[in-house]
Amino acid sequence: MMYRLLFRQFLRTQACQLGLLLGLFVGIASLFVGQQFLKKQDRIALEVEEKQQEHIERNIKYHGDDLGLLLYYLKFSIVNDQEPIAALSIGQKDLNPTVQSVNIMTLEGQRYDTDLVNPNKLLYGNLDLGFVIIYIFPLLIIAFTYNLRSEEEETGTWKMVSVMTRSNLKFLLSKLLVRFTPLAILMIVLFALAGWFLKIPFASQLFPFFVISFFYLLFWFSLSFWVVSLKLSSNFNSLLLLTTWLGLVVLIPSMVNSYVANRFPMPEAFTTIINQRDGYHTKWDIEKRGTVEEFYEDYPQLAHYGFPTEEGFTWHWYYAMQHLGDVESSEQSRLMVQKIEQRDAVSKELAWFIPSMHVQLIFNDIAGTSLNHHLRFLKYIKSFHEDIRLYFYPKVFEKLTAESIDWKRFEPFHFKGEKRSFDWSKTLLPLFIGIIVFIGLSAFGARQSFSEI
Amino acid sequence: MRKDLVRLIASQFGKGVFKSRAMLPIIGILLLLLAYATYSGIQYHDQNHFREDHQHMARSSWENNPDKHPHRMAHFGTFAFRLKHPLSVFDFGIESYTGNAVFLEAHKQNTVNFSEAGFSTGMLRFGELSLAMILQLILPLVIFFIGYSSIVSDRENGTLKILLTQGASWKEILFGRSMGLFIIAVLLITPFFLATMIFLLTEDHTVLGDWARFALIGTSYLLYASILCLVTIAISASSRSAKNALIKLLGLWLLMAVLLPKVSQAAGAYFNPTPTKLEFRAAIEEEVKKYGDSHNPNDPYYNTLRDSVLQVHQVSSVSELPFNYSGFVMSQGEKISAEIYNRHHDLLMARYRLQNLPAKWLALINPYLAIRNLSMALCGTGFESYVDFQLQAEDYRYMLAQKMNDLQIKYISPSRLSGSEGKRDVLNRETWKSIPDFKHEFMSLSTALKNELISVISVLLWLLLSLWGVQYLSHNAKAI
Repeated sequence: MMYRLLFRQFLRTQACQLGLLLGLFVGIASLFVGQQFLKKQDRIALEVEEKQQEHIERNIKYHGDDLGLLLYYLKFSIVNDQEPIAALSIGQKDLNPTVQSVNIMTLEGQRYDTDLVNPNKLLYGNLDLGFVIIYIFPLLIIAFTYNLRSEEEETGTWKMVSVMTRSNLKFLLSKLLVRFTPLAILMIVLFALAGWFLKIPFASQLFPFFVISFFYLLFWFSLSFWVVSLKLSSNFNSLLLLTTWLGLVVLIPSMVNSYVANRFPMPEAFTTIINQRDGYHTKWDIEKRGTVEEFYEDYPQLAHYGFPTEEGFTWHWYYAMQHLGDVESSEQSRLMVQKIEQRDAVSKELAWFIPSMHVQLIFNDIAGTSLNHHLRFLKYIKSFHEDIRLYFYPKVFEKLTAESIDWKRFEPFHFKGEKRSFDWSKTLLPLFIGIIVFIGLSAFGARQSFSEI
Repeated sequence: MRKDLVRLIASQFGKGVFKSRAMLPIIGILLLLLAYATYSGIQYHDQNHFREDHQHMARSSWENNPDKHPHRMAHFGTFAFRLKHPLSVFDFGIESYTGNAVFLEAHKQNTVNFSEAGFSTGMLRFGELSLAMILQLILPLVIFFIGYSSIVSDRENGTLKILLTQGASWKEILFGRSMGLFIIAVLLITPFFLATMIFLLTEDHTVLGDWARFALIGTSYLLYASILCLVTIAISASSRSAKNALIKLLGLWLLMAVLLPKVSQAAGAYFNPTPTKLEFRAAIEEEVKKYGDSHNPNDPYYNTLRDSVLQVHQVSSVSELPFNYSGFVMSQGEKISAEIYNRHHDLLMARYRLQNLPAKWLALINPYLAIRNLSMALCGTGFESYVDFQLQAEDYRYMLAQKMNDLQIKYISPSRLSGSEGKRDVLNRETWKSIPDFKHEFMSLSTALKNELISVISVLLWLLLSLWGVQYLSHNAKAI
């Protein structure tokens, strides 16, 4: 009975109506942003499928009699396959291209090409559902709960409540529940819409995403309840909670980010691209035999193709030079990848203590839009590049023509990423601990204070 | 208005604030953030050392090339590393989201790669803690906190009535309190500019006009702070209760600094979709091919070109021409493809500007966006300065490629129809040194300001509007 009254009372407040409306509006907007993102990715993947064969055929027409020259022009596309869930947490995917095309020349010069993006768009960030959950939901929670207790005191009804209800704590908890229910429903509605609108498979993708969001919601409720239970004024609560919000979703992550960026600077990236250029180009000026010898050190199985003459141009020598560009930049490239991995690891460790960051990183992980996922894609490209090189080298060295190759095999390749096993305990533990801590603190405070009145 | 009375009210307000217990933690937190932001700003700026080192490294291997065929050098190419403006220490702007290195070679416009965002784990998307960010985002909260109750509390507890009956006018009280609040804001801002100033004084990488920019940035933030103070006082004077004033101010902050910027940029991006790199390249390739495909031996365009050149020189084959024909063809091809590329690139940038348009124009109603855009532009870390870098890099690339083509046309034997391999048909290595290295020039201050005219107007308009608001309230505010 009381619960229903409280509920009706709360639903009538402006804060509730405005807040829910805002949440619904931004949430739905985020789904459209996600849908546009997915459509764009799908369109590109489709276009690549269509264009690859056409690209191959056209080049065969002009250069079909010289396989070496043909492969100078041919690019092979690799599609980083997109799951629909990526729409909910776009992560690094706006920056890293979905399709990478490589030829059989030096890889390091091709592998790091970024997509074309408006840097201003990146600066403001993607308005995806992840953002709505990490940023907007806590704000709604704060707006709904900051005066949970203090409003009663400030309007003079607290004393009456104390007299009328058996337990103040129970009264506050039922008020909290009244505020929790609409937000939980809003979240469920948004997820249901997301699942239906973006066709996200429930069990494998949407469900884990939802559970984490739900725990994050609980975390903010327990944090707010603790602040409320400190028995401070509404004004102080609102400032304290907003400052906490600012700290958790802006200041601390940005501090961690600059710490990580400054601890692991990346000059190796620049050195890699200079080394790959020099590694290849300087070979034009030296004896051909040495270059091909070095090439055979990596691929002894090809050594029986012998050495080109010092005079004149051969593809054999040309592709050996290209390969040495990769060889001579491999150390710097390895260091760069290592640093990226370190950045990833340190961020994840620190994120354990900062729920907003933790949730963001997990969202990106589930969505397959994390830095780590891109790194795996880069590694896949590397092994793909090696595979096609080793497939074509003998054919080029034997001076075959395009006819000898089954080009149908060269449909665009797809990178699926490994099956993401979802580690529930590791993922939920930080949030769970946070929730327990704040519930504990509130309970401790409650025992001391609520009972007194 | 009696000046001494205004001054008295202001100083009384200031003293009151500094007596309050809450000031100490606020100042403490601000100083902590200031120290951290300065540290990371300097660290970021220090990346210029990496970039300069690599620019030199790339250059020295360019210069160390032996005697070569110029077309080999056209492919050897060089790199452009983007240097940070010294004032990027103050405002990071979009620096972390823009590429930092681009390979400049013949026939091909490469993307500017290796942005900090590309190496980031997604935490970057939470925002970056720079000196400018603290002033834009946190300072309003601090000013609101200090000033939200300044008028309304006095009304609630009746002091206001006493003040008015003692002879102070509404105008004096409102402007006096605004002034008091502004003085506190200035005290809080000053260390941020001192830190930047010390950096500028000790930094070797100076850029012409640094100090003019610095002065303008300082002025704009002072104006921003005064707007914030006046708005705070106005809302405090017009609210029913202190709680009400605080809620209004915090709501305003959330709307202006969190929701509007994000939503406006998202809307701009949603309604102006841009091509991906793949589509962008495909469109250019398509158009270049329509013009003529130099890889196709039977291409009509290049065949006509050849025939007309042969006819003008009255020879029957290209090897009889007085110059190297393949260099000539490449120079034509480069011209065509560069023109097409530049047109597409301009279109893409225009599209990006369309995406940015909502956030740019919303600055008129949102002083947070205004100061944010203006500050970036003044610090050389905004969108336009990045576009400018890309243009300069492409201009250099084109110059370099055409220079190599010219050398080939002039100095390589007309009988060498293809290939660039080997020790014949080479140019002296001294040639390579004579070509200047890439050097990025920062956009001029006047251009930067012109690009952000809307923001400048917005700041001034808001100042007038908030002054008017306080003025208006001084006739209409209620004492009880």
